[in-house]
Amino acid sequence: MLREVWEHRADYAYVLPAITVMLIVIAYPIYYTIELSFFKTPPGLQLRDKSFIGFDNYTAILTSEVFWKVTWNTLIWTLGSTLISFVLGFGAALALHRDFVGRGVLRAILIIPWVISAVAASYIWKWIYHSDFGIIGAVLVGLGLADRPPNFIDNVSTVLPSLIVVNIWREFPFAMIMMMAGLQTVPEQLLRAAEVDGANAWQRFWHVTFPHLRNVSTVTILLLAVANFNSFIIPWIMTGGGPSNASHIWITHIYELAFGRQRWGVASAYSVLLFLILMMLGYFYVRALTGNERKEGGA
Amino acid sequence: MTATAETAPRDRPRRRIRVEGWRWAGRVFLVFMLLYTALPMIWMLITSIKSGFAATQFPPQWWPDEPTLASYQKLLDPQNSVGQDFLRFFWNSLFVSTVTTILSVIVAVPAAYAFSRFSFPGRNFLFFAVLLRNMFPAVIFLVPLFILMRAIGLVNTHGSLVLTYLTFGLPLAIWLLKGFYDNIPVQLEQAARIDGATRFQAFILIVMPLSTPGIIATAIYSFIGAWNEYIYAYTFLSKNDQLTLPVGIQRFFSENTTDFPGLMAASFMMSVPVVVLFLVLQRYFVRALTEGAVKH
Repeated sequence: MLREVWEHRADYAYVLPAITVMLIVIAYPIYYTIELSFFKTPPGLQLRDKSFIGFDNYTAILTSEVFWKVTWNTLIWTLGSTLISFVLGFGAALALHRDFVGRGVLRAILIIPWVISAVAASYIWKWIYHSDFGIIGAVLVGLGLADRPPNFIDNVSTVLPSLIVVNIWREFPFAMIMMMAGLQTVPEQLLRAAEVDGANAWQRFWHVTFPHLRNVSTVTILLLAVANFNSFIIPWIMTGGGPSNASHIWITHIYELAFGRQRWGVASAYSVLLFLILMMLGYFYVRALTGNERKEGGA
Repeated sequence: MTATAETAPRDRPRRRIRVEGWRWAGRVFLVFMLLYTALPMIWMLITSIKSGFAATQFPPQWWPDEPTLASYQKLLDPQNSVGQDFLRFFWNSLFVSTVTTILSVIVAVPAAYAFSRFSFPGRNFLFFAVLLRNMFPAVIFLVPLFILMRAIGLVNTHGSLVLTYLTFGLPLAIWLLKGFYDNIPVQLEQAARIDGATRFQAFILIVMPLSTPGIIATAIYSFIGAWNEYIYAYTFLSKNDQLTLPVGIQRFFSENTTDFPGLMAASFMMSVPVVVLFLVLQRYFVRALTEGAVKH
């Protein structure tokens, strides 16, 4: 083993820069987070004064009411954003697959929200949802559907769906690009053969196109799920987690615990729990990616 | 076969109707998506050319009575303090994003090449370790990185941002480029080496040109990621003259909460560079995804 490593020493030179950066910025923080999660930490970053308290941070989290509230929000946020983004993106990719006049322009416009900064997107939508001068409220009042502009963001029951709409706006183009790339790999001949054999549009989609896209779909959904699980900017800028935690998701909650209330130990314990969940998702992610290669090797 | 031939004439009109139906559904869907995508951006532009007074009226002016570019002039005027700040944030973002992009390409290209061509012990483990970086949220790394950056004296410098931004560009960059290199036949390089080229020459002269679309895609991805990044910049930088655009704009407008035209104009100008960059180079991006990531 060691001799083999030594024989390949030149090969490592190629990956060394990448691995070094990763080690500094990833491995060390992970280790440090795990360590901190077992300590009681004083406010401020005077971390020399920390004291070991075992699993107290964890029990404190799991028995708190906020934890369950935030977890529920995260679940809705992640599932809602991921599934709807995927369906909309896949639909758009299918509708854009056939050539027509203006297809390139339309595709470009649909991609723009994905490129612009989430901070800009948050401000644009915050303005659209504005409780006094927002355009949606004005339209609803104009159509006689509401007496006065509804308050989308300062309302416990509408805030999360409203933010999900913003998130999908920014995210469906990613699913669209991935699925467009996937659609190009579906062999034309197979589709034509199916058509000759009398398969209708739906049957061709379900029996030929879709099976070909299974891998891309899995990877896309997983990447979306991870990105949504980890999102921060949209809730942070638009609501800061409020009103009364109704739009706090895990990440914003951890950020507030750490940098707002300076409870580094508890925030670290939260991070470790998050980590465990992500490792499970990561397992499926790696399996989806390697599934690709294994199949290729077998064929 | 004969059965199809017999039933085909009877079936055809009905089938065409059904295909037409799907196509119409597709069109309606695209119109809906176009409205969903474009209307918020159009409203941003319309608001940005209103006066502060015109923006805060109910019902709103669908098109401003007196369109004005005052917000843009204010943001781009180096004479007043708002313009000075905005231009400085803009320059900071440009600097950080450009350095990040150049470094990511320099680091990702050899790594992807090695993952594609060589088999050394731990290759798979390292490859997936790199990919797994995508899984973890910025927040997990914030506290330790903040402490680390403070220890090595990088807090309040752009170096802290470049170092962290490198790591989220890298996984996708390496993954995309590896796909590219997998598709370039090894024989091409072998031929070059038989003709007397060194491995490095073969790499620079044969492999690099063939993977240009991948490198461009990688560069776009890194640039956009760095340009739009918020949370690290928000945590690592506190001096006003160091801020990048997303944080700078947020700081500025948390002090001027009612200047909606200004906010929309700033959001628009912050989006222009990345949108233009992406639209010009998007075909490389889609191609890189098709060839690199999806096909294999």
